[in-house]
Amino acid sequence: MTVSFILNGEDVSANVRSIDRLSDILRDVFGLVGLRSDCRCGRCGRCFVFLDGRLVPSCIVPAFSVRGREIITIEGFAQTEEYRDIAEGFKAAGVETCGFCEAPKILALADLLERTSRPSPREILAQISAVPCRCTDPDAIVKAAQAVIERRARRIYRRAGQ
Amino acid sequence: MLASEIHFPKDLAEALELIRRPGILVFAGGTGILREQGGRGISLPGEVLFVREIPELRRTSLTERFLEIGAAVTLSELIELGETALPPLLAEAARGIGTTALRNLATIGGNVASRERFMDCWPALACLDGLVEFRDRGGATWMNANRLLGEDGKPAIPEGGLITRLRVPIERWDAYLLRKVGPSDFPAPETAVFAFAARAEKGILAEARIAFAGETALRSRSLESSMIGRGLPLSAREAATIAEGYKSLSAPLPEGLALQFGVLVEGALGLLSR
Repeated sequence: MTVSFILNGEDVSANVRSIDRLSDILRDVFGLVGLRSDCRCGRCGRCFVFLDGRLVPSCIVPAFSVRGREIITIEGFAQTEEYRDIAEGFKAAGVETCGFCEAPKILALADLLERTSRPSPREILAQISAVPCRCTDPDAIVKAAQAVIERRARRIYRRAGQ
Repeated sequence: MLASEIHFPKDLAEALELIRRPGILVFAGGTGILREQGGRGISLPGEVLFVREIPELRRTSLTERFLEIGAAVTLSELIELGETALPPLLAEAARGIGTTALRNLATIGGNVASRERFMDCWPALACLDGLVEFRDRGGATWMNANRLLGEDGKPAIPEGGLITRLRVPIERWDAYLLRKVGPSDFPAPETAVFAFAARAEKGILAEARIAFAGETALRSRSLESSMIGRGLPLSAREAATIAEGYKSLSAPLPEGLALQFGVLVEGALGLLSR
């Protein structure tokens, strides 16, 4: 069947089968290799995308179910100011994540900041735990997230002042 | 792996026509189905009824007396209703399920519909006297969540219908407790949820409910009745007597779960003993 949806801001269509996972379609058909499809059971977080603005593990989303919906992958999110806030906040805090978990951790944090402007350390840890990779000290992630929050607040404040 | 025919009903009436087909699988969030499948492709039966987009199943409404939730409302959307609308016991149950990302997919209807085991929301719904609406072409039937507990302690979900709504009474509860035990990211045989709710009137215990569920469920109306009418706080002796009754009730559980259930019952009774 042909499924049409919005992918990183563009209208696209793909021929999908009922057996196809969204993560596989995004990688194999659209070449979006910033996500991985490792566990295939929604556990590792490496396949995170935004589906209609909500963070989801795309490996447990059937491709047929996204018709008419909007998907943003890390490639699309990387074009936004919110991404730059997080990437620069991580850098400023000296956080170096591994190649496996950087993209999902950025998306997970972006999702949290979308819902909560000033999350508590506990909320940050709970959110980041959706990407169970031990490459980075969780306390460092919390500090980085707080740096991101400040950076984001300054940007929004500057914009409001203009 | 064979391809399935996917049906996208535009409304409830169309879905109720399609659900009569033998072997058709109702699919909303799909987390319960797909988390069990680790291979490259998804394995689904010959026909799938995709109900997530049906407007009637996506609505929530709140009156003074109850909260009504469409079956395809996700757990995240449920939590976002906030404490003014959502009973805390149900909110805690929903928050304890998976990660935010998983809760963005999983639906309340799917959580209740599991035939293999009780999922996390059932104990809360049972304590709150929640109702579940089943619909087929013949009409709608509201069932108390407690009637989804079979005599063998396993889920007893009616065949052939579609879960369309849940209705949760809005009532005052003076004490409540919800705890999940065992592995929490994936349901395992040792995973279970304990729910307790109680209400007092003029220093007397007017309502007390305890439900515990995983692969099997425990709920005893007679033990709950034995608590009602007692003055608060409960004495240590009263609490010990009630706890002993629940210990007998937990005999069919595996030893580890029975022990945890006992501790949780004592914790709940402790809330009534202060």
